[in-house]
Amino acid sequence: MTLALVVVLLAQAIPYQRPVETAPQEKTIGGGYKTPPVQKPLPRDYWLQMADVALLGAATGLSVWLAIKRRSRKGLAWLSIGSLAYFGFYREGCICPIGSIQNVTVALTNPAYSIPIVVTAVFFIPLVVALFFGRAFCGGVCPIGAIQDLVVLKPIQTPRRLDRILGLLKYVYLGLAIFFALKPGMARDFLICRFDPFVGFFRRTGAPHMFMLGGAFLITGMFVGRPYCRYLCPYGALLGWCTRLARRGVTVTPDKELDCGLCARACPYGAIEKMRAVRKDCLYCARCYGSCPVYRRRSVSGAGSLDVQGSDS
Amino acid sequence: MTLYRRAAWAAGILVVLCVASLLADYVIAAQRAPQDDKRIKSLQEQVKSDASLAPNLAAEQKRITGAHLARKFRDRWLAWSLIAASAAFLASAKRLAPRGAGFQPARVASLPRSSPAPRSTPTLAPGLDLSFVDTAVALHGSGIESAIPLLQAIQTHYRYLPDEALRRLCELTEITPAQVAGTSSFYGQFRRSPVGKHLVRVCHGTACHVSGARQITEELRRYLAIPDAADTDPSRTFTIDEVACLGCCSLAPVLMVDGHTAGRLTPAAAREALKPFDQEPA
Repeated sequence: MTLALVVVLLAQAIPYQRPVETAPQEKTIGGGYKTPPVQKPLPRDYWLQMADVALLGAATGLSVWLAIKRRSRKGLAWLSIGSLAYFGFYREGCICPIGSIQNVTVALTNPAYSIPIVVTAVFFIPLVVALFFGRAFCGGVCPIGAIQDLVVLKPIQTPRRLDRILGLLKYVYLGLAIFFALKPGMARDFLICRFDPFVGFFRRTGAPHMFMLGGAFLITGMFVGRPYCRYLCPYGALLGWCTRLARRGVTVTPDKELDCGLCARACPYGAIEKMRAVRKDCLYCARCYGSCPVYRRRSVSGAGSLDVQGSDS
Repeated sequence: MTLYRRAAWAAGILVVLCVASLLADYVIAAQRAPQDDKRIKSLQEQVKSDASLAPNLAAEQKRITGAHLARKFRDRWLAWSLIAASAAFLASAKRLAPRGAGFQPARVASLPRSSPAPRSTPTLAPGLDLSFVDTAVALHGSGIESAIPLLQAIQTHYRYLPDEALRRLCELTEITPAQVAGTSSFYGQFRRSPVGKHLVRVCHGTACHVSGARQITEELRRYLAIPDAADTDPSRTFTIDEVACLGCCSLAPVLMVDGHTAGRLTPAAAREALKPFDQEPA
């Protein structure tokens, strides 16, 4: 995804000569024909790109606030709908920290390859937030996460051991993505972007096998919560490492909540262990708060409007 | 609920239709493409030798382009309706999922209504003698004000409140099943599940709590292999009850097995305290 952005930006930076020897020229066409000046899509305005970055930061901040201060499942559900609409369907998945891993890797190792500040910012903002508050980006901001979060219908609790084993896949994927991104020249391949199962939905176009893969992920996701995020997302691996230092994050406390265990049952991602949220695995969906009787009581009046609050527990 | 069910079905069918037509469109287009290519190529060859065929080639190209654009337009609309239908399906399907599915407040079993088939719980004595209920009602009266004395009498007699006895009680008196359920679950003195042969009361008062009543209870539960949700061991010998105070704080932590008190307990001593009762012949 970011690849496309970078390619556009690079195309802007490098003076690129179209090989026009075989194409009909103005002279050969004759009749005073003028070649139209613009032949390539213009890149997005720089200030708009910066606005996207700001929006990403703001959405991540909002996610933190909604989860930690407001403890509102409803708020986070609406935020993820908004993010899916903007970062997903409108921006077509093209401000994407997951893919930026590869650009950053190449930029770090190859002096000839430079990445714009936008990509750098997109790569670092969620990681820095994760250092302090956990994976706020995953819930409510990441469009790939949002599309999976919204399809969660009847999640089963996957066995913890299976979770652990499948969770190792993301490190393998991260390693492979870095390995292929580091290959020189034409052999370089951006695996994460090429095998992004959801970007086809965002762009409403793509290879049929990727659509099938994405559809399979979404149908699985109705019953196994966010399979891509939990088992494959290479950026999730990085975020997981960062959360080890996080002081705050989604917490289930006996002070503010009850120790009744309903939250553990409501968590589709197996991120509540012994009635406490596991920061490394918590994807900031706030379903634990949505299912909590303490907050239920508070929101009885507004319970009828949009039933996203813990209804899929 | 039926409205959401209907909406979910309609949206689901729409999703399937959209996916099917997109797939069909893709397959048809993929099959036609090689033929079209071949035709264009052969026409181009012909045009090279015979310029008068050029309009044919142009018409053919126009037709293919038109078909391509039409497909693109169609697919865009289908994709958007697919997205909208999926959203509608998810929204209505989420409404259908029961809130907090599977959640029942702990230990408040609902009193079975007058259903003809009684729940076949293994703990229930099949030939439970209900004549005591009749005697008790004759003694205490059948008004609603006698509910608590009646329940107490039944509990004293059977050592718990059997469902059969409560149902009989409702038949004989003005007390409704709802009132029985409410009263019997409100007061700590009533129990709705059969009690073991010996009642072990572990004190959880302040003094005992501070001196480790929690550990005593846990140890006894482990020792007797009592499941998490239950309070009686599988052989129905001991029932563990956590009580507020036994009135002998100087002995903390303390427990009582039936009438016998054991104090200054350690987990091991608590196990020992149960031993004499365990060895009694049944």
